Amino acid sequence: MTDRAETPSAQSLVLEARGVTKHYEGVTALDHATLAVGPGEVHALLGGNGAGKSTLISIISGVTKPDSGKILLGGEVMPASGPLAAISAGISTIYQELSLVPALSVLDNIFLGREIKRKTLGLPLTSDRRSMELAVRDLAADFGVTANELHTPVSEFGALKKRSIEIVKALAFDPKVLILDEPTSGLEDAERQVLFGYMRSMRERGVSLVWVTHHLEELFGLADKATVFKDGRTVATVATESTSIDKLITLMFGADREEFGGGDTRKIAHLQPSSERPVILRARNLTRGSVVRDISLDVHEGEIVGLAGLAGAGRTEVVRTLMGLDALTSGSVELNGRRLSLRNSTAAYRAGLAMLPEDRKQLGILADLSTAQNISISRLSTVTAAGFWMSRRKELALAESYRGQLGIKTPDVNARIGNLSGGNQQKAIVARCLNTSPKLLIFDEPTQGIDVSAKVEVHALVRDYAANGGAAILIASEIEELLELSHRVLVLKKGQIVGEVRNIPAAIEAGEFARIKSEVLTLSAAGQAS
Amino acid sequence: MKSSSPLARIMAIRGMPMTLVLILTVVIFQVLNPVFLDGKTVGNYITNGIPIMLITLGVAIVIIGGGIDLSVGTVAGLSAGTTMFTLVQGAPLVAGIAVGCGTGLLFGLINGFLVAYMRINDFIVTLATLNIAAGLLVVLSQVQPLQGVSVPGFAELTKGDLFGIPTSFFIAGALFVIAQIMLAKTIIGRRLYAVGISSQASNVAGVSVPHLRLFTFAASGLLAGVAGVLLASRLGAVQAFLGIGYEFIAIAGAVIGGISLAGGGGSVWAAFVGGLFLATLQQGLRLNNVDPVYFSIVTALAIVFGVVFERQVRRVILRAALHRTALFSTDQPRATEDESVVASSEGSNNNDK
Amino acid sequence: MTSKPRSATETIRNLWERLLVDPTLGVISLLLIFALIAAFALPVFYAGNNIYNLVGSSITVMILSIGMTVVLISGGIDLSVGAVMALCAGVAATVLKMGAPLFVAFVCAILVGIAAGLLNGLLVTRVGLPDFIATLAMLGFASGVLYIATQGVPIIGYMTSEYYIVGGLDPLVGPVTFPILVAVVLALIVGWVLSRTKLGTHFFAVGSNAVASRQSGIPVRWVKTQAYMLSGTCAAVAGIILAGRNNNVPADLGTGYEIQAISAAIIGGASLMGGRGRVLGAVLGALTLALAINIINLAGVPSSFQKIVIGVILILAVIANYLSELARGATQRRRAKRLSSIDA
Ligand SMILES: Nc1ncnc2c1ncn2[C@@H]1O[C@H](COP(=O)(O)OP(=O)(O)OP(=O)(O)O)[C@@H](O)[C@H]1O
Ligand SMILES: [Mg+2]
Repeated sequence: MTDRAETPSAQSLVLEARGVTKHYEGVTALDHATLAVGPGEVHALLGGNGAGKSTLISIISGVTKPDSGKILLGGEVMPASGPLAAISAGISTIYQELSLVPALSVLDNIFLGREIKRKTLGLPLTSDRRSMELAVRDLAADFGVTANELHTPVSEFGALKKRSIEIVKALAFDPKVLILDEPTSGLEDAERQVLFGYMRSMRERGVSLVWVTHHLEELFGLADKATVFKDGRTVATVATESTSIDKLITLMFGADREEFGGGDTRKIAHLQPSSERPVILRARNLTRGSVVRDISLDVHEGEIVGLAGLAGAGRTEVVRTLMGLDALTSGSVELNGRRLSLRNSTAAYRAGLAMLPEDRKQLGILADLSTAQNISISRLSTVTAAGFWMSRRKELALAESYRGQLGIKTPDVNARIGNLSGGNQQKAIVARCLNTSPKLLIFDEPTQGIDVSAKVEVHALVRDYAANGGAAILIASEIEELLELSHRVLVLKKGQIVGEVRNIPAAIEAGEFARIKSEVLTLSAAGQAS
Repeated sequence: MKSSSPLARIMAIRGMPMTLVLILTVVIFQVLNPVFLDGKTVGNYITNGIPIMLITLGVAIVIIGGGIDLSVGTVAGLSAGTTMFTLVQGAPLVAGIAVGCGTGLLFGLINGFLVAYMRINDFIVTLATLNIAAGLLVVLSQVQPLQGVSVPGFAELTKGDLFGIPTSFFIAGALFVIAQIMLAKTIIGRRLYAVGISSQASNVAGVSVPHLRLFTFAASGLLAGVAGVLLASRLGAVQAFLGIGYEFIAIAGAVIGGISLAGGGGSVWAAFVGGLFLATLQQGLRLNNVDPVYFSIVTALAIVFGVVFERQVRRVILRAALHRTALFSTDQPRATEDESVVASSEGSNNNDK
Repeated sequence: MTSKPRSATETIRNLWERLLVDPTLGVISLLLIFALIAAFALPVFYAGNNIYNLVGSSITVMILSIGMTVVLISGGIDLSVGAVMALCAGVAATVLKMGAPLFVAFVCAILVGIAAGLLNGLLVTRVGLPDFIATLAMLGFASGVLYIATQGVPIIGYMTSEYYIVGGLDPLVGPVTFPILVAVVLALIVGWVLSRTKLGTHFFAVGSNAVASRQSGIPVRWVKTQAYMLSGTCAAVAGIILAGRNNNVPADLGTGYEIQAISAAIIGGASLMGGRGRVLGAVLGALTLALAINIINLAGVPSSFQKIVIGVILILAVIANYLSELARGATQRRRAKRLSSIDA
């Protein structure tokens, strides 16, 4: 373990992991991993997909039992007795996957497992919701959760609000250590900044923070130190001041790094202007209740059209109606001049649309099928004999060809796709889409939750697709990503298009990145429908 | 998993551990009572077991597609009733068979329609049709005693034999083979597994989930219909309560065979073995003069141990196999079988709207 | 929050909205519709002891469905309730026959019910069987034990004069019978547990998202086990009452009750996906079933149609619950809009 930062003496450490090892049936998730977090420090935990970050966090939080090794809190060994012990000891965790209970109210969620009780018949039996409300009201208000909303079931809220609720839940009990596993995924720029503000104020109050992120640029100015994981092992702990993104990437991916295209996320493709080329998709007046309102858009051959907007602006809803996943109230869609009936997704695929969905785990992969089966599923006719009989041989050949073409890293395309790393799963789904030879491909948050190297590769896939004449719609919450990949950005607000920014590649080349970025941000925040 | 031994590879297939148990059971019963494997007895008990095995197959198809069908038992009973009813009216054999199968198919289509297109929970829908079919059979049996049919060929469906083998063997065999081919070799089968694993993700991938749902329930209904015809043929008289409780035996059989109630995992072989195991158990107990009052306890214990055994065996093998691959690959596979409570309820219950 | 209703119309609107967002709206409307049909189309409905008998006949299913609701809320399902109920009835009857006092017999029966629930819970949470399979095995096991113990001959000769009261054959005070009292008390207690206590919150949490519950430090397995134990207790109570009402305990006393209990709970709005359900719903669901059967009996429809009616009502209830969900969503949206316009 090369510990480049000056080591604080063992006594002053708030949280320490020593030699933590964890095997899952045949997989080594952690291999003698270590972590040392000092008081009042924001400590970033970095590593590629599957490096073991979340596993370490779940061990620290008492959810998972390590095979060996120990966790020390304030210099004392924590007993391995479950999440409640960790919570009582002052460890609050925001997990990677949303972990709220939809059926319960916000208040009950915040106090879940730590209910304040009132005496009934001399026994502390009844939950005292009034005291609970009083205890968190102010904190909740700081995160935009009103007193009214405290009594609303969590199922009524969108992903963003749920994040806020999780943050309130984590902060409600004055934690000593706050652990955040990719807390910004799915958050917009503005909300990200709010969260960072809170993280800073937590640090000032002396709370130690452990923070997992795949967005390395977020680290600077916020994280004090970073510990890098690779294949379940701790590679190094560095002070963020004395490092750079490049160095971190080298630590994270070692010698393999060059394969990933240099890790330069800022590279801008040479995208040709495309408005003169034929229109592939022509959508007119798409409306779905009050979520999608009167959306009209054209996508040209070889063009990537980005959809920008804050959470709840209706971006995903628009593409879901295009794919026939949600029914339209009114509107029409033409593909290559042919009117489509958007009854269901099958019809959409048959017509020549394809989509890489957001939320890879829930909507993307079919976890128990093999990689090959995941690739072929959207157009099985490419791997059948006589259009009906599955041909194993054809399916294998297809999978192998995409494996080579897209660089899907797996020892065996017949192995369960759930076993692949996030980035490789994402590539397999891109392959699934490409296999339908789509005329228009929709990318909804194509890089969410995947590591830096995989991100570069997925970006390359998106660009290649357009460069070969494909038309695409792109949704990305990260504004930089959106601008770097799109020719043109449409800004949505409350289900309506409120603005358009054209000729983005040219503008970026002219060094006006900051200008268009602020233009898009202003539009999405304040734009008014015409 | 290429490096694992052939035995381990075979045992890792769903239904295989139970096949072993089935063989063991047969051997034990044979030792206890050598009449067990006597041609006549075997033929008899398999003929008796065939209706339930067909029902098990139907339920298995629905379960693999991620659903559940509770109506199969009483629908089979009702189909037996309508077949009898038709034949009692003096209709020809073909008409009776067609009506019986049609009854099953009709119920399957109704179930499928309500589940797939009206999007009502399948448990509730089939619970409702379970009651409706049971009720209709009671009504039917009051309209007309369902017995005393002497249409030529009807009884021979189950009693007659071709080359010394009862006719119903061929019917059931053909249906099992067709189902196996459908599941393993056609695009319908592939889509069925996909929908069973995740209907949401399948929908996004362009698989037409409602059509498949309808298909599974229709198939299950039709199989229940065939089972009903065979039941009527074998029993010669249809009682008002025929078929009640069969759904539980069928579902238990499917699960014992190794079919995952969560959907997306299972095979025709698993349904076959599970169904046959329960039939064998009953027959063995009967032959050894075990008092019938013990049957339900023995079956209950068999269900528990069968499911546990099946899973433990596959878990041990998978663990070993994964361990071996892990040595060769850099991409770490995630274990498939974490069926602890928390993990298993995770998928189905994260339904925020 | 602090604003008081200012006018009568506002009060009415508030009440109306309260009703519209009530999760039991579906089953309430269904029950009302049936009651109206009965009241107008069937004058005999009010004759004699009809309503009284109707309520009496619904008690067993009602008690079972209260326990079932808790299991459904916590994400499970209990197919064993009917068989466990019969077994407990058998235990109570047998212990009584041995000359023990009523109280001892009841305690024995309840202990058996709790033990069955505990075993269900262990099979599900420790052995890891699917809920459906574990409780199905328990169904076979419990009914098997009763068959073996009785050799198929109904248990008789245990009735005492007090047991007539327990079974509801003789009233307790005024028109109130003991079973009605028990059902009401049980409903109140379980309702209170669900809405006011930590355990209740945890039932919902575990059924709605088990992983998140575990991460929050909830002992998920124990909570699920407790749900099954509660259901076992309810089955025992129902068994005690049914043994009294029935005068004898045949081995197949519990057959089919699991289906009725699940039906009642679902009609009352419980979800098979876990995390949703209400005791009041279960009670009303059981009443709805009893009422519907009563109506067709009074209307002279042969009793053979009973099952068909249950099936149809299940579908109706799903539709009613779906509509009430729509009403709730719309009302909530309207209210949210109004509140935000007030804020602005
Ligand atoms: N419950 C589990 N069962 C089996 N294997 C698991 C389990 N959880 C994690 N793993 C495996 O352990 C390894 C580490 O996973 P982990 O989730 O900790 O990675 P991570 O660093 O958080 O990745 P990401 O950046 O994608 O979130 C992976 O190979 C993963 O497949
Ligand atoms: Mg992670």
